[in-house]
Amino acid sequence: MLNVPSVVFLGIDVVKFAVNLGTAYMLFLAVSLTLNLEAGYTGVPNFGKVMFLAGGAAVSASVCGRLAVFILGINVHGDYNGYIVTVINQVNASLSQNSVLCVELILLGTLLAAGVGAIMGFLASYPAIRLREDYLGMLLLASAQFFQIFLGAYAPLIGGTQGISVPNFFGWAGSGIGVRDVAVLGFLTFFAISVFVFVERVARSPLGRTLRAVRDNELASRALGKNDVAIRRNVIVIAAAISAMAGALLTFQVASVGPGTWDRVTWTFWIWVMVIIGGSGNNRGVALGALSFAFLFDMIDQVQFVFQPYLPDFVDVNFLRYILFAALLILILAFRPGGILPEKSSPTLPKRTLHGIMGRENAKGEMDQKEPA
Amino acid sequence: MVEFTYVVSSIIFGSLFGMMAIGLTLTYITTKVPNFAYGSFVTVGLYTSYSLYRFEAITPYLSAPIAFGIGGLTSILMYLGILRPLARRGSPLVSLMIATLAIDIAFVGIFGTYANYLRYTYVFIDSLNFTEILGDFSIFGSQGLILAAPLTLALITIGLYLLLTRTKFGVAMRASVENPSLARVLGIDVEKVYVFAWFLAGGLAAMSGSYYTLYSQGGIATGSGLIVEIFAASVLGGLSSLYGAAIGGVIIGAGENLLTGGGISVFGNGVLDYQKGIPLVLMILTLLVFPQGLASLPWIRVVTRIRRISGRLLGGIRRLSARGLRRC
Repeated sequence: MLNVPSVVFLGIDVVKFAVNLGTAYMLFLAVSLTLNLEAGYTGVPNFGKVMFLAGGAAVSASVCGRLAVFILGINVHGDYNGYIVTVINQVNASLSQNSVLCVELILLGTLLAAGVGAIMGFLASYPAIRLREDYLGMLLLASAQFFQIFLGAYAPLIGGTQGISVPNFFGWAGSGIGVRDVAVLGFLTFFAISVFVFVERVARSPLGRTLRAVRDNELASRALGKNDVAIRRNVIVIAAAISAMAGALLTFQVASVGPGTWDRVTWTFWIWVMVIIGGSGNNRGVALGALSFAFLFDMIDQVQFVFQPYLPDFVDVNFLRYILFAALLILILAFRPGGILPEKSSPTLPKRTLHGIMGRENAKGEMDQKEPA
Repeated sequence: MVEFTYVVSSIIFGSLFGMMAIGLTLTYITTKVPNFAYGSFVTVGLYTSYSLYRFEAITPYLSAPIAFGIGGLTSILMYLGILRPLARRGSPLVSLMIATLAIDIAFVGIFGTYANYLRYTYVFIDSLNFTEILGDFSIFGSQGLILAAPLTLALITIGLYLLLTRTKFGVAMRASVENPSLARVLGIDVEKVYVFAWFLAGGLAAMSGSYYTLYSQGGIATGSGLIVEIFAASVLGGLSSLYGAAIGGVIIGAGENLLTGGGISVFGNGVLDYQKGIPLVLMILTLLVFPQGLASLPWIRVVTRIRRISGRLLGGIRRLSARGLRRC
């Protein structure tokens, strides 16, 4: 049996910690980059991020689970949500023998999630392009809350408040300790890096400059013939589709889905923290912000046993973390509003040409200064 | 028909949301930032009343004024300590919004730590999630809050009306909201006015939190969960008018409970799961159909139009009935 090696350093299993951190980071990275595309580049204050992830997760988990059961010919007596708990071991055992089917279902689920996310994004963009940013923030926050209520109330989708278990689509990777986690990490890394390449290409293209123009001055961009309404709508749709894919992948990773997973704090607020710490409007900054956030977040968990004896026993690390990250965010907003790596100005010409022009300008400036003397 | 319990809850929540919406609107018209941390001021009231009840057996009616003070001071602290410095540094609106969201998260952390403190030190096992406080007086065969809450809302609204129209400070307040720079030119200390508005806002939230403990269960995230409904009430009221907010709160609070009660008697208990969706749907409809809220509607035209339509309808009915009579 294949096992992931275990290296213990300062009481922490380093390999396990790194794999868990990597998994969390890749998901955070993908989602925070899409938020950066919306809020950082285009200026859409999306306070309802969690809604799109939850939508993708719920639909892909529900559909892929049913498909797996149907293809494997396992009898659920026509009541998938009711019987999946009793047959889940049987489903997982069959799935672990059939890696092709698993990968197909993962890909199908992710694509399906992208479709669902795009539709939700399109619906959300209807008010988004018509309202002022404060009203829009409120509306998106409220809609996300409603969507969570809907997931809990509408039982046919994912079984209501309890949620349902999702078949283990990564079972083929092996049954050793941590081997499945490494396989999941591989998938997530590929996904997150593709997202990074995509948003970076968008940001560095003329389209990226158009997005910033829409953000900075709507009227001026409209006067230059840019259709700001369509641009905002497209950005929201694309960001929602990618977020929904991330939601689907998270669901396949944890192998269960329920409305409780999708709370406002984790998938809206923490994502905003990452974008602001890193530097909104700068993809590399956001990647760094997500890394520092994920590292700090997990590290506090790991080292709590070290400092717990010095704290009064009523101090819960979870609540302490709420206060610490909120304080960190406000300090960054106050003293370094651009984040760790602030947004750079985007040159409209290649660097060399620009340097040439700047050099000439400078020389001319010096001559102008000399003339009066 | 709607069950009686839903009538009771609609009266109580209508009044409480009215109070909360007035406060939220006060913070919005002064700083123009949607305050997502506002719900946590309600939790300040919840825990003030809960603690005083558990320690000294003080009824929430008596601890409500204390909660008002504590909530108001917390609110001032948030305004002077965080929002105003950020705004002075020129933070954009989105940054200020995310800052209020951060403050809300920090509040949940602080309440959680406080509740754990009560649990470990004084062995209050229900401190993280407590049931309603018993000991309300009873009236008309149900609890006294159905009288006390609407009465408080009415008194607050009348008090605000008198303050804003009959006193010099109230007129200065209105001026500072309408046009801060002009008010400054006239020698009004706009900052003092804003601090007062925030005190009032936090106080109102905490006081309604105190009342809330008499009727419903509470916990560290109760206020954060209410924020969407409070926003719905404020938006329905127009986010600019205090009286609009009071009416919006009553409509949201009462509408949510009456519609749920009515829905249950028609469709069965499944409706209960969607109860919290009703205010959101009302808010989304408001934002899409008349984003400036109830206060913006041309009421005179609406009234004349309703009169005209009802007049036509009445005329039609009269003609029809006359025809029917003739046939007989």
